[in-house]
Amino acid sequence: MSEISTVDPSAAVMDLKRRDARDKLTGRTRYTMDRAGAGMLHAAVLRSPLAAGRIRRLDTSRAAALTGVHAIVTADDAPGLVGIGIADHPLFARDVVRYIGEPLAAVAAERPEDAAAALAAIEIEIEPLPAVITMADALAEGAQLVHPGWQDYEVLFEGGRREGNVAWEATAIRGDVDAAFARPDAVIVENTFRVGRQNHLAFEPRAVVAHYEDGRFHIETSTQVPWTVRNATARVLGVPASEVRVTVPPVGGGFGLKFDMAIEPFAALLARASGRTVRLVNSREEEMLTCLCRENAEIRIRSAVTRAGEILGREAVVLMDCGAYGGEQIFLTTMTAHTLGGNYRVGASRLVSRAIYTHTAPNGAFRACNGVYNTFALERHTDEIAQAIGMDPLAFRYRNVLGDGDLGATGQRYEGEVLRPMLERMDTLRGIPTAATRMADGRLYGRATTVGTWFVFTGPSAATVNMNADGSATLVTSGVEIGSGSMMTGLPQIVAATLGIRPEDVVVRQADTDAAGFDVGVGGGRTTVSLGAASLAAAGEVRGKLLRVAADMLDADPEHLTIREGRIEVAGSNGPGLSIAEVASRAQTLLGPIAGTGGFTSKGTPAMSGCAAGHFIDALDIPVFAVHDCEVAVDPDTGHVEMLAYRVVQDVGRALNPRAILGQIQGGVVQGMGYALQEEVTIGSEGNILQTGFETYRVPLAPDVVPVEVSLYEGAPSLGPLGIKGAGEVPILNVGASVACAVANAIGRPVHELPLTPPHVAALMLGRRSAPVLPHIAGRWTDNLVKKA
Amino acid sequence: MTLRLTINGRESLAPDDPMTPLVDLLRERFHLTGAKPVCREGFCGACLVMIDGEPTLSCLTPGGLAEGRDIRTIEGLSPAGRLNPVQNALEAHDAVQCGMCFPGMVMTLTHALRRNAAPSREELRHALTGNTCRCTGYERILDAALSAAGALQGGEP
Amino acid sequence: MIDTHPSLYIAPTLGDALSALGERGAEGAAFAGGTWIMRAPIRHQPLGRAYVALGKIEELQRVDVTPAHVEIGACATHATIAAALAPCSDLAVLAEAAGRSANPAVRSAATIGGNLMAADFAAADLVPALLCLEASVEIVARDGVERMTISDFLLKRQYLACDRLLSRIRIERADRRSAHTRLPLRKAGDYPVAIVSLSARIEAGRLMEPRIAVGSVEPVARRWTPLEAALEGAPIDIAAARHAAEAYAAYFQGREGIEAPGWYRISVLPALIGRALQSLSS
Repeated sequence: MSEISTVDPSAAVMDLKRRDARDKLTGRTRYTMDRAGAGMLHAAVLRSPLAAGRIRRLDTSRAAALTGVHAIVTADDAPGLVGIGIADHPLFARDVVRYIGEPLAAVAAERPEDAAAALAAIEIEIEPLPAVITMADALAEGAQLVHPGWQDYEVLFEGGRREGNVAWEATAIRGDVDAAFARPDAVIVENTFRVGRQNHLAFEPRAVVAHYEDGRFHIETSTQVPWTVRNATARVLGVPASEVRVTVPPVGGGFGLKFDMAIEPFAALLARASGRTVRLVNSREEEMLTCLCRENAEIRIRSAVTRAGEILGREAVVLMDCGAYGGEQIFLTTMTAHTLGGNYRVGASRLVSRAIYTHTAPNGAFRACNGVYNTFALERHTDEIAQAIGMDPLAFRYRNVLGDGDLGATGQRYEGEVLRPMLERMDTLRGIPTAATRMADGRLYGRATTVGTWFVFTGPSAATVNMNADGSATLVTSGVEIGSGSMMTGLPQIVAATLGIRPEDVVVRQADTDAAGFDVGVGGGRTTVSLGAASLAAAGEVRGKLLRVAADMLDADPEHLTIREGRIEVAGSNGPGLSIAEVASRAQTLLGPIAGTGGFTSKGTPAMSGCAAGHFIDALDIPVFAVHDCEVAVDPDTGHVEMLAYRVVQDVGRALNPRAILGQIQGGVVQGMGYALQEEVTIGSEGNILQTGFETYRVPLAPDVVPVEVSLYEGAPSLGPLGIKGAGEVPILNVGASVACAVANAIGRPVHELPLTPPHVAALMLGRRSAPVLPHIAGRWTDNLVKKA
Repeated sequence: MTLRLTINGRESLAPDDPMTPLVDLLRERFHLTGAKPVCREGFCGACLVMIDGEPTLSCLTPGGLAEGRDIRTIEGLSPAGRLNPVQNALEAHDAVQCGMCFPGMVMTLTHALRRNAAPSREELRHALTGNTCRCTGYERILDAALSAAGALQGGEP
Repeated sequence: MIDTHPSLYIAPTLGDALSALGERGAEGAAFAGGTWIMRAPIRHQPLGRAYVALGKIEELQRVDVTPAHVEIGACATHATIAAALAPCSDLAVLAEAAGRSANPAVRSAATIGGNLMAADFAAADLVPALLCLEASVEIVARDGVERMTISDFLLKRQYLACDRLLSRIRIERADRRSAHTRLPLRKAGDYPVAIVSLSARIEAGRLMEPRIAVGSVEPVARRWTPLEAALEGAPIDIAAARHAAEAYAAYFQGREGIEAPGWYRISVLPALIGRALQSLSS
């Protein structure tokens, strides 16, 4: 049955054009924020002006009586708590407020100005409470607890240690670290690092249009995770999940921002209360103040190495600011073991990752979450190790990068020799490095090569393929097109290759939780992998059915049939054949329409038992590696860093659509460049985010960027369908690391913080700034752990 | 009060106040949602429309000041779905990702290439200073624009 | 509820604009390019009650260039000014300031008058450029015209009576050279964190009557008089000029901002002086 069960992967490889480009170029695409309907109401949300306080009074009666106001909802309307790992997050602040911008009430009115007037008319008194704004505040002796009732929350995932402002703690311990550090030949290198938050600045803000029809909610929303929105909305509203339907129009940028429920329940509640369609679109300022940013983090890392360059032992403490609620950071504590614990072969290691509550806006997921700063810390630390033992940093990496059979931090055994040949590939791409340190124009030149370890976030996905009698196929999934093109190219390519039709003839159904089965969401590099595997399985079932019907029609053995270019033929030259439409049509008449379903989930790659505690993923199903090389020029007078060249060797397994991948790499590197050099989120002493829009939050512009030189590395082992790996998330992974290492090399001083804005770099050169002092990370690693009761 | 606007060659009436930003009139009153109010402060360029042939920030233009002028939105730049050379090139180069910035990008590039048939890559980079893109990293947009250079001379797209 | 929408009157002539402003009194305000006023909501400032738009008044859009002087209407846009002054090497500072600020779409909307009237906008490019050119401004009212130096204007602009209008900026031309150096945090597209505008006569390789203005470092741009004195008659020597700038840097108190700390704005001034001098002498 080889023809029936296997697909020639090369049939799926092509630079397929995106089907959504034309409408996007002509302004016809209707994103959620563009959707309007007759009789639609406009919603707005009242937000807390204080970071911490007790709600003494919230009176909506005067606001409700205003002209044009149709509904007002508050905490009384939304009883449930949601969260990842711990259910700690109410929809509206209840009794207390925990961050500036926390929702207190939502209104729906005829016109936006009526809604704004209603917000202004809600009477509210909040008694200020002491706030913990920084992680140092939160971990101080006797600190105010962000959640005094933390012990009462429902635990949704067992295993993480928690206490007070430590929302979650995950540890990965392998081998005898004390013995490694005690070795007489060990050189000890220790560093501290700190990074700020990064705002996704997705162009489409979070936006939702909600309807309440036939006793069910229909939510159209700009999300990456329709099923999470369905289930979480149901939970906070206290209704069965089956009463919530989520559909997703084209999404105007996600990058992880939309990997969680957002403002959907407000609109849903208001739609139910008013009996009207309700639209809610965040203002840019709301997006800035309540963005689920990439979290700020503080890191201490310490390694024991021999003079010959062997890494004997490593320990690290990573503090991740989750803001007022645990959210994604609870999950992301997992990733330290695989990112900071990745890249290199290490004798023994112990890593602790702690999500810390503060009275600031909650953080969330952002492209290569956790990985970007842990890779920054690890790679800068690696350069300092190389310097300490007098070894060339590239030679040190060649010696130590993970290879076939090496152990990761949780005891996972890596397969295949991948990073070392990728380093060689980079040597070819880059050529022999220049030794120059000062350029003709007086600027300081620096260069660096870094490595990175990432993964594909597998997990459940479902797909259905309906074979239509006209020879086209319809692919039904809960996958969302967020801009990467995976739903427009990769998935139809897989289905088309399986069915022997053109990708243009695969209709891709827009995500609808009423039509397609469960899906974890679009993100984590999983779209083409998980949805792709489900789609491959579904299409494979259709293919088998088609071939069996065709075999009957052609009086041939199904195994002797070929299926390609829209036809099923008996193998061999001039064999008789039929068009796929003929076969599908015949099948429909004889047996009913042909369809296939497919499912996929994580494989659960094993870790070493007893290594990992509090981890949501003990080992990586599909590791992904990256090697980056960066050249910079630094202005010694002003601290401006110019990127001169950037090169990427990326492990893609198999490149299904090379052109699309190259587009993702260019975009991801530039987003990482913003993180490394420009994008700064400052939290004021009151807990307010100071950057409120595009003027102050500076992302890279066309004059700032360079074309990235790319080499796609194919052939590394992958569990993904047709041997693919996710390619859209990883390009950002080691940009912060590469830029920081290159800048450090240029200025001859170590770099321990990001972003490297001109004032920051100038301060480093002037000696006004040194490594961050982190007294809230204890010197003895074990003193950082929550004590077992 | 009623505003009398000429949008994509058609006279249109809007019962709105004259200080209402043009972008809101286009989107809410006339359902021309191609222009996007992304930053509302003139930095992102996603709301650009042509007014009398000049790329104009519709978020910072009061509707009252657009009366009597020729307003052309992205929807009117490619009537009947025909792409202009810039749009064609952007499609051919697979430049589009989420797409939100492209209505504004098309305005800026169309204007830049009408002004200068043979711009350098650096000139185009600087022409795009007011057009932020969060997805693509710009280089493909520049590739596409350079390939379309010369095709926009001589009037309408 | 009362309708709070502001009104907008499009004045056909300067006279009509002045009458309209007079009638509206304290509730009225002039509306030029709109790039500042239209952003009031995002600054959490209420819009005014009644605006008088100046954009249709032909005489306010004009840039008149003669060999002796330049007169710029208050509603000339940055783009118009940059184009009109491109051939005038003595006014390179102003052409550069107008041609590099913000981004192309803003430059084609934002006006010189708006730039000068936005008293809260510390990073205005045109202000230091006009200071180093010793420009004068013309204020019109129904009962006459008042002229004042740009420095005086910067002191008085917040207290301008509501029926008076900044109408024109005048620059006397001279055998001088000028340069504008600005330091945005990106290559372009954001407001500069520090600006140095420089104008001087060059005689036998020496700087004569140098005028140096510094913008964005403090809330309002001003001349760097001690440095001007120190460089008077000095040979063009970039290293020496940078050295002198370092010596007199304490003349300024850098403003703290979200984008840059005060010390940084001051610390880059010597380099900006060096660059200005470099471009002046090239």
